[in-house]
Amino acid sequence: MSDATVIKPDLQFVSEIIKGGGESLKKCYQCATCSVVCNVTPEGNPFPRKEMVLAQWGQKDKLITSPDVWLCHQCSDCTAYCPRGAKPGEVLNAIRKQSIKEVAMIPLFAKIATDPKLIWLLFAIPMALFYIVLTVLGNTNIDVVRAKSSHMAYHNFMPVPAIDVIFILTAAFAATSAFVGIKRLWAGMQANAGTAQGSGSPFGHILPAVTTILAHKKFADCNVSRLRQWGHLLLFYAFAGLAIVTTWAIVYLYGHEFLGIKAFGPFNFGEAPYPMTDPMKMLALASSVAFAIGFTIILLNRLGNAGKAGMGSYFDWIFLLIVIGVGATGMLSWGLRLADVTMGYWVYYFHLVFVWSLFAYAPYSKFAHLFYRTTAMVFAKYTGRDKK
Amino acid sequence: MEKKIGLYICKGCGIADAVDVDKLVKNVKKMPVCKTHDVLCSAEGLQMIKGDMTSEGVNTMVIAACSPRVKFAEFDFPGSLVERANIREFVAWTLEAKSAQAQSAAEDYINMGIVKAQKADVPQPNVLADLNSTILVIGGGIAGMNAALAGANAGQKVVLVEKDAQLGGFVNKLYKKIPTASVFQEPLIVDTEIEKTVKDVEGNGNIKVYKSTTVAKTDGQPGLYDVTLSNGEQLKIGAIVMATGWKPYDATKLGHLGYGLSKNVVTNIELEEIAKKNNGKIVRPSDGKEATKVAFVQCAGQRDPNHLPYCSGMCCASSLKQAKYVRANKDAVAMVFYKDIRTPGRTELYYKEAQNDPGVMLSKADVTGVSDAGNGNLYVEMENTLFGTKTGEKVKVEADLVVLATGMVPTTRGPQEYLDGLTKAAGGGDDSKKAYLEQTPKPDYILNLGYRQGPEIPSLEGAAGFADSNFICFQYETRRTGIYAAGSVHQPMNMAEAIEDGQGAAFKAIQAMDHVARGVAVHPRAWDMTYPDPLLIKCTACKRCTEECPFGAIDEDEKGIPKYNINRCRRCGTCMGACPERIVSFKDYSVDIVGSMLKAIDVPDDEDETRVVCLVCENDSYPALDTAAINRKQLHPGVRFVSMRCLGGMNLVWVADALSKGIDGMLLLGCKYGENYQCHFVKGSELANTRFSKVSETLNRLQLESERVGLMQIAINEYDKLPEMINDFVEKVKEFGPNPFKSM
Repeated sequence: MSDATVIKPDLQFVSEIIKGGGESLKKCYQCATCSVVCNVTPEGNPFPRKEMVLAQWGQKDKLITSPDVWLCHQCSDCTAYCPRGAKPGEVLNAIRKQSIKEVAMIPLFAKIATDPKLIWLLFAIPMALFYIVLTVLGNTNIDVVRAKSSHMAYHNFMPVPAIDVIFILTAAFAATSAFVGIKRLWAGMQANAGTAQGSGSPFGHILPAVTTILAHKKFADCNVSRLRQWGHLLLFYAFAGLAIVTTWAIVYLYGHEFLGIKAFGPFNFGEAPYPMTDPMKMLALASSVAFAIGFTIILLNRLGNAGKAGMGSYFDWIFLLIVIGVGATGMLSWGLRLADVTMGYWVYYFHLVFVWSLFAYAPYSKFAHLFYRTTAMVFAKYTGRDKK
Repeated sequence: MEKKIGLYICKGCGIADAVDVDKLVKNVKKMPVCKTHDVLCSAEGLQMIKGDMTSEGVNTMVIAACSPRVKFAEFDFPGSLVERANIREFVAWTLEAKSAQAQSAAEDYINMGIVKAQKADVPQPNVLADLNSTILVIGGGIAGMNAALAGANAGQKVVLVEKDAQLGGFVNKLYKKIPTASVFQEPLIVDTEIEKTVKDVEGNGNIKVYKSTTVAKTDGQPGLYDVTLSNGEQLKIGAIVMATGWKPYDATKLGHLGYGLSKNVVTNIELEEIAKKNNGKIVRPSDGKEATKVAFVQCAGQRDPNHLPYCSGMCCASSLKQAKYVRANKDAVAMVFYKDIRTPGRTELYYKEAQNDPGVMLSKADVTGVSDAGNGNLYVEMENTLFGTKTGEKVKVEADLVVLATGMVPTTRGPQEYLDGLTKAAGGGDDSKKAYLEQTPKPDYILNLGYRQGPEIPSLEGAAGFADSNFICFQYETRRTGIYAAGSVHQPMNMAEAIEDGQGAAFKAIQAMDHVARGVAVHPRAWDMTYPDPLLIKCTACKRCTEECPFGAIDEDEKGIPKYNINRCRRCGTCMGACPERIVSFKDYSVDIVGSMLKAIDVPDDEDETRVVCLVCENDSYPALDTAAINRKQLHPGVRFVSMRCLGGMNLVWVADALSKGIDGMLLLGCKYGENYQCHFVKGSELANTRFSKVSETLNRLQLESERVGLMQIAINEYDKLPEMINDFVEKVKEFGPNPFKSM
């Protein structure tokens, strides 16, 4: 029996999953109803039944770099139909959290992003960062800042170059973190895949994977949380729109400043604020509306389905908190600026804190699914795992 | 008593729509009183009968109405003989209405009823003298003690005999038990508290306890047992509860699971001993180190044709309990490898609770072996696990202690196997018997019965050594009337079940003593006052009845003349069917009565009119026919059904009676036999089948085809298949052409 796989139970890892939102894990008795009702799983060797027993035995190596754990879209159909209330959807989410922690470039950061006891630190870092910058710039007195120009402008409070330096560095950090994480995940998936390795270049599979994501095709297979498809879609495109807006603003500013491009037609090259007639502003507004609607759908879906799909864990809610924080402070600071309320500066400060958190913790929080699910989908296509 | 027969024909429930009742009255045998009524079971109808009893002196009634299985209370006239002719189910509901065939069928059923009423006598209870009502409980374990308490609390005197020096039985070996409450929550292991039950038993004024004592001899019959104890004391006993429990399966036969390979492979019983000795700490036998990776191998030598073919029912929950022993150390893991987790009843909730412990890890697995992993550790090797991502993937898990969940072997199995071996050896001649007796170690007997059929409860195909007679319908009944099995000699069971089982068996013992005191059958014909009454002057001492009685009710004297122990008898009539001299009769059931009934069937001269007699077991087949009728299934109009207590009472002379009269064929409808048999009397239909194998002799003498008679097995729920089965048989008989005796 030298060819036998050795299974080593790992009580520590079981406890981590249970503590991290998988408290129902032990209820599973392996009937495989979950694998039958799941519409997202590949037909051969389907999830999440096998993940449940592997998690019960603490089979960390097999789980944290499993593509299947990431192919799950957390429809919660499995959770709704589980006869024992083992909530496989919630357990897989808890496993994904462990996966994020395990492949993280800086594990401490993952701990800060996912440990409810460290929520203060999560926000203290950006709050301190921006407060230090404001102190250095001498902008901590908002009445003084307000007096700098005739109308309220946030660049008087936090100049654009400062923002750009901070966020370009943050983005570089996030990108590096994501790259390292993706590499580790990929290597782990390859190690676990045994003989089911892909051939040729995996890069050819990126475009089909991204197309699937853009169309949100997989979400359409969900039953219990059917509405979530639209919520997630709106939120996804809202983020995409806001990312474009941010880039666009940089183009306006530096295009004017360094390349000397003048405003033409509706395009207001130059310094913020920009009028409502500017297409960029319109895209910003549209994205904001999409954001608000999408977020509401997601929230209502989660609360409405809590009975069937579970309430989720800190891991979910902290991510939703940051997302809503970004949106709410963004829209509020915009409104306060238009209404000329000086307190808007501090709201803007918190907006920066939330945006920074979203960026910096992206590869360490639930937001990491953007990278890792995409990676898993590419891997699944590369190895033929996604074939029905 | 001078019989005066009244014939009463009911017109209700569609009978009058199906047959011409006035014509029936004209055509059937003439009776002194003959009346019809629109609804005979109504108060008015019953009053009419009662009126005739007083004014006309009617003391024997033939009720031509519904099935005897219904309206029993209505048509019960104490002191009178009542015979029921089933013209509702067998005619009105199953034959074409107003047809000539329905009319003649109704006539036949009524005539058969009249013949039976003429031949039968009013049953009189046979109450034997000097009946005793003390219950003997053998075995002072949890089942036996609860049987004793249940009997004592019901007001009976109880004698409890325990072979060990103390009461408590197997529970004494346990460290902790599963809580007996209906809701399970931590702690999932609690003290057995067996000492409380022991105290209750020893302090009960109705219970006399004998410790370090066994039963040396049991003679007699229910109500009249003479029991001799190993200490020489003699007791008068009314009924017996046998609760001698179980032994663990011999683990030395489980070498393939590593037993004997290492000291660190132990049985579930040995684990209890380890836990008990070390006050809960689970240590390895090899080096005394605490075990922190304990593997439980479920179904060790169970559900395995090479070992125990059955599931012991208690091991899954017990292993989960023992897993909690292991988990007293919070860093330890208990790994349970199962074929299926079988936690019936409330133990399912226990399974759920125990599983919730993160350190109780479970997986389905076929354990293929156990091998050395060094340092006293072991690998448990397995396949078909739930871990594998590839089909056929082999898996092994390292453990520092391996626990084999071995099963329960009833204490009745040893004596049964020994006695079966003896019977077989004796078949090979005196030398072979002598050699067997010399070479085979004699197991501990439990009852030491002075019965002609042997000293212990006989073995039963498929019962795997458990003391059972018909576990589908009759809990607690063994094949010895008045002796009830409780606890794990009855079936594999856990402690909570054994408590209930002991109580149930005690109540059955009380019921048995009550029935014999009233002179009715103990079981299953619990209303029946008739009993076999052989005309011993004509007995040839052929011993067939003593051998074939399924319940060992008949002993023999030194000349081989049978002695009928009525209180042991279940009134199946197997002895009546067995007797070549036809001397065994009941007051309302005899070879002559059934034969005369068959002769009362009118056989038309018309050669196209087929007549087939169908002898029907009253336990399964008759109810199935009734159910077919309730569902208005059409039956073949040429068939006449005659109820039998059991096909074991089938006497071959009836074949000659019927076929020599021109009946074209005879069909027996009985219970399933063999493994999963359903016969209430264990082997009735099988015996009938054996007797039928000799029927060709009879038929050859009559120059008839032996295929004209047949036997079919039917379960009570197969009513929907019955009409077609019967039709097929009639068609087969038709192919042989009409019975040449028809026109004679």
